[in-house]
Amino acid sequence: MQSKSGRWVGHGIYALLMFTLVGAIYLSGKSINYNWHWDRLWPYVINTEMQDIPAESDGTALIADNGTITIEFDNGDTPQIITQYDNKLISNGDLIFQGDSVAQFNNWRFGPLALGLWMTIKISFVSLFFALLLGLVFGLMRVSNNTVARDLAFTYVEVIRGTPLLIQIFIVYFFIGTVLDLDKFTAGVAALSIFTGAYVVEIIRAGIQAVPVSQMEAARSTGMTYYQAMTYVVLPQAFKRSLPPLAGQFINLIKDSSLVSVIAITDLTKAGREVVSGSFAPFEVWFTVAALYLLLTGSLSWAIQQLEKRLSASD
Amino acid sequence: MTREYTGDDMIVATHIDKFYPNGCHALKDVSVTVKRGEVVAIIGPSGSGKSTLLRTFNQFEEISAGSIMVDGVDMYDKATDINQLRENIGMVFQSFNLFPHKTALENVMLAPLKVAKRPLKEVEAQSTLLMKQVGLSERMNNYPSHLSGGQQQRVAIARALAMTPDLMLFDEPTSALDPEMVGEVLDVIKGLAKVGMTMVIVTHEMGFAKEVADRVVFMEDGALLIDDIPSKIFDAPAHPRLKQFLAKVFNSTWVIKVRI
Repeated sequence: MQSKSGRWVGHGIYALLMFTLVGAIYLSGKSINYNWHWDRLWPYVINTEMQDIPAESDGTALIADNGTITIEFDNGDTPQIITQYDNKLISNGDLIFQGDSVAQFNNWRFGPLALGLWMTIKISFVSLFFALLLGLVFGLMRVSNNTVARDLAFTYVEVIRGTPLLIQIFIVYFFIGTVLDLDKFTAGVAALSIFTGAYVVEIIRAGIQAVPVSQMEAARSTGMTYYQAMTYVVLPQAFKRSLPPLAGQFINLIKDSSLVSVIAITDLTKAGREVVSGSFAPFEVWFTVAALYLLLTGSLSWAIQQLEKRLSASD
Repeated sequence: MTREYTGDDMIVATHIDKFYPNGCHALKDVSVTVKRGEVVAIIGPSGSGKSTLLRTFNQFEEISAGSIMVDGVDMYDKATDINQLRENIGMVFQSFNLFPHKTALENVMLAPLKVAKRPLKEVEAQSTLLMKQVGLSERMNNYPSHLSGGQQQRVAIARALAMTPDLMLFDEPTSALDPEMVGEVLDVIKGLAKVGMTMVIVTHEMGFAKEVADRVVFMEDGALLIDDIPSKIFDAPAHPRLKQFLAKVFNSTWVIKVRI
């Protein structure tokens, strides 16, 4: 057991090292003559710029005393009435042409980075669900007595683990996707969950095999069927043992989801690439994207730790 | 399960043989009958096939030849649902095998809830009563890891009783226990004997076998050598192998701890 003061010294040295590291990164940024523009990034996360209200057709603008803008159209259509705005760009009696900005209003909306983050969350968690499902089904097949089921599960695991995810995404999108007419989100989810599922199979198999055979026996001795014993006795225990490796696998899933950008899904990575070309601030963008991934994986690993703590009540 | 069978014989095993895939002849032409309400103890040296024989009675071990009838049902009949049959056969293991992720009470409640699908209220009441009968009312909400070996084994007995079986199988129920905890478990089993539960007990506790069993079966090397009443077995052992076994048991040091 370390002494308390010894631990503080350790933390101090760690802080110093980190400070040096960050300092080194900062200085190397300086040395390449790069102008940091963190402020340029913000609109790409949340856009707070005023938004335009365009005229629907050609006509004349009338502004009432209470501020309501009415556009009488030349073609006699129902007039366009604008009651809510924050900044008007025209005056009473102005001639208006279709598409002119009549007024503006304050309305923040998510920028591409936030939308990309949301897409990454969505695709990761939908895939996580299906990966677990696939892992569970094939994991059970992997430990079953049925030779056909065992061989199938073995093939699935070996084929998927033995080929790169990038290639699988291409195959799922361009081949299977074409045959079955899948949209790109479905194809992305399919590729990710099939890939992660193969690893989950092995994690679940190891978890099941770590539960002593005597547990299955004890359950069967009370008259349970194999599936009841699995559901109520073996799997809950296997799941508990599998949680730490599952957490690692799911963190990988979130990171792997960046590969779906190759089939034009605008996830966090693709959004980052787009924002780089728009903002000319590549360093800021990539640091931000990395931090957002870290935030996601960090929250997931925290959530699984909480679950582990709750399940450890019986230890 | 509705059954008409009310005959006297709970277990009728006739000429059972068991070979392991490696060729080992684990049971050699064993025939044994256990009557309703009878307590039968199986004794014998390690590796003599005691546990194997016991485990054939709920088909944890498949037999290679012969037949086993339990409560009037042919265990190897194609029409027999082994799960349904096992509901009627409670089993207690040497190493307790409680479900570690469930509390003591939940261990007892699991089978009645999930297998018999009885209502929660009723199952809870019955299980609480069972926990009281094995003397663990105070600790029924503890997880197995927080219970002593003796307490765990008593929970295991309550769990086996929860499906109200007609037959109880005990596979060396006290062998994994610290000596001071053997008594509490044996007392629960004795209580069951008093209320007329049919039981087959594989045991190393000779004193207990003598006190509780109606009949004692001596096995050696996969064969059933003697099947007799306890007084004949322990007080006037005739068979030379039995004599040898008993002499060994009563001379070894661990027996001193056992209540004889």
